[in-house]
Amino acid sequence: MKRVNYCFSTKLTFDDYVHDHSFALRIIPPETASQQILSCNLNISPYVPVKQTVDAFGNNVTTGYLRDDHRFLDFEIKGTAEVDCTKRRTDYMPCYLYQSEYTQPDDALRDFYRAHQDGCIGTAADRAAYLCDILSQTIGYQKGVTDTATTAAQAFALKKGVCQDFSHILISMLRMDGIACRYIAGLAFCDGETHSWVEYWTGKHWEGIDPANNCPVGDGYLVISQGRDFRDCAVDRGVMYGKYTRQLQLVRSILS
Amino acid sequence: MTALHQEQFTKAVGNAGEINDLLRRYGVKFGIYKNGEFKEQFFPFDPIPRVIPSQNFAQIEKGLIQRVDALNAFLYDIYHDKKIVRDGIVPEDFIYISKGYLAQCEGVTPKNKIYSHISGIDLVQAKDGEWYILEDNLRIPSGASYPLIARELTRIAAPQAFEENAVVDNRGYAQLLKETMEYANCGGIRAILTPGRFNAAYFEHSYLAEHTDSVLVQNDELFVEDNILYHRTYSGGKTRIGVLYRRIADEYLDPLTFLPESLIGIPNLMEAYRSGNVGIINAPGNGVADDKGIYYFVPKMIRYYLGEEPILKNAPTYLPFYEEDMKYVMDNLEQLVIKDVAEAGGYGVVFGSELSKERLEEFRAEIIAQPRRFIAQEVIDFLDLPIIDNGDTVMRKADLRAFVLSGETTKVWASGLTRFSRNPDSFVVNSSQGGGFKDTWVLSR
Repeated sequence: MKRVNYCFSTKLTFDDYVHDHSFALRIIPPETASQQILSCNLNISPYVPVKQTVDAFGNNVTTGYLRDDHRFLDFEIKGTAEVDCTKRRTDYMPCYLYQSEYTQPDDALRDFYRAHQDGCIGTAADRAAYLCDILSQTIGYQKGVTDTATTAAQAFALKKGVCQDFSHILISMLRMDGIACRYIAGLAFCDGETHSWVEYWTGKHWEGIDPANNCPVGDGYLVISQGRDFRDCAVDRGVMYGKYTRQLQLVRSILS
Repeated sequence: MTALHQEQFTKAVGNAGEINDLLRRYGVKFGIYKNGEFKEQFFPFDPIPRVIPSQNFAQIEKGLIQRVDALNAFLYDIYHDKKIVRDGIVPEDFIYISKGYLAQCEGVTPKNKIYSHISGIDLVQAKDGEWYILEDNLRIPSGASYPLIARELTRIAAPQAFEENAVVDNRGYAQLLKETMEYANCGGIRAILTPGRFNAAYFEHSYLAEHTDSVLVQNDELFVEDNILYHRTYSGGKTRIGVLYRRIADEYLDPLTFLPESLIGIPNLMEAYRSGNVGIINAPGNGVADDKGIYYFVPKMIRYYLGEEPILKNAPTYLPFYEEDMKYVMDNLEQLVIKDVAEAGGYGVVFGSELSKERLEEFRAEIIAQPRRFIAQEVIDFLDLPIIDNGDTVMRKADLRAFVLSGETTKVWASGLTRFSRNPDSFVVNSSQGGGFKDTWVLSR
């Protein structure tokens, strides 16, 4: 068990006025068996009334609508949580067993999986650790070569990527292996940005694995959102009108 | 209708010319995309109605209500407890591989648990008189306005036809639709969302809006604030919408939940819907139940959810997914009709008998490679219906789209859209494939 302070902020600025701006944020960490949210403060600027709902995957969704002209939208979440990964989560959904948009393998990724599928016989945990290991030997961590639209197959072809890409490729392989698994977006120690990792279903509960660091997930990880792949977990999605070039100026996260 | 009546009727109408002229003048068209270009096509009307005797219709009606009730129970189950999968009636893959299944709809309960408010069930009558279900359309089927307006115009062109024949009045459709919309209403006005005049069903959208006292809206007039859907008024104010009839595909409905690149959707509509603040007709996620692969399981659903024997039959269907069925399909491919489960509107329908030997072998390999993608059906020998072709009466294949509306109770509209193939050799009757339509008369005695 570990008590953590978390802070996450995003500043969106536009080079011209925008209006009729609808947004949906997934930034409030969910209260689960393995994480207790002791405090949580959300600040959004400019002021806008917001509503909270819980989506199909169990994520807290904050929605709002800024009708008037504005040039920025900042949001920040801050609080304290208690993480205990020995307390297991059991919120299973069958759709996690099937490939989703970002994880659909191409022939190359399928061949890669087939070449390694007989390398390990064992439980879901054994196989996940084994596939994660193979992956870290094949893919190099490199920023700037992929973006949020990159699929597992595309990142695999590059043999490079960031945590999001490692997660998508591992998910794709686990699902080919018949192991249900999901994408996690969250915060981790020693990381100035949001992090992503994978949870696989052992048959009884979820277990976390961090493919970008090739290690199991411990108490130093805070889940913010979860889903079939990145698309279900995007921190912010928005639609707005105006003559602008959208810029995601600053994303900052701290877990301490 | 007796042969004598039919003759009188045909004479009274003269030829279809007068009514078709009126239809043209009223702008009764549907849109079609051909080679990437949008064209508006006239939907040819044939004056000889399809006549369904009262006793026969009573049976169809019972069967359709039973089927739609089971489909609604299935949709609720799939997005909640999934009992039918756990009990092994429907294999899990068939649900989650289906493009129509939307994980984002898990746990969302539409008002009164109704998912398919308007169901268009396509049937054909075989030569022996038996009716078979060809497919279910649960994603706002179009077409009800065509027989409505054709009937209106026929009344003008040949009023005596309705004096001599006891035909059930079909003008109640708008009232029925209005009641169905009201039952799904979560507090606010009724609105019909159209993607605009370049949509296949634009004529129908405007016609239905007018006849159900609903506002015809486009997406840029709508916004979601505090998880409530509003219509922006000309004066700058806002009016709350309680129920939204829409025909745009689920994936385009809300760019913040589904395809981010959608320009025809309404941001955060799904959050308003999830919060119970707006009804969506038909519910998003219905595609999982009208998937051509799921069709096979509908009779099983009726037994499972209602504990009843299906009143209407499915066309004999085989799923290459099952080993036994695969063998049958391989042995009998040249006499079966094969449907691609991902296609609609008469596309992706292949008759084994029409394929060359070479193509047949290629197709065989495709089915073996992707068994889940296809279903195979016996070709039903449809009852031909008479149509007027250049002044002569000729016989053509026809189907019937029946409209089933689910509100406080499930009701079948006593009319429907009879579509026929203009090509004497074709079984495909879809309007997008160049077919025509007839009025459907349900007799009151």
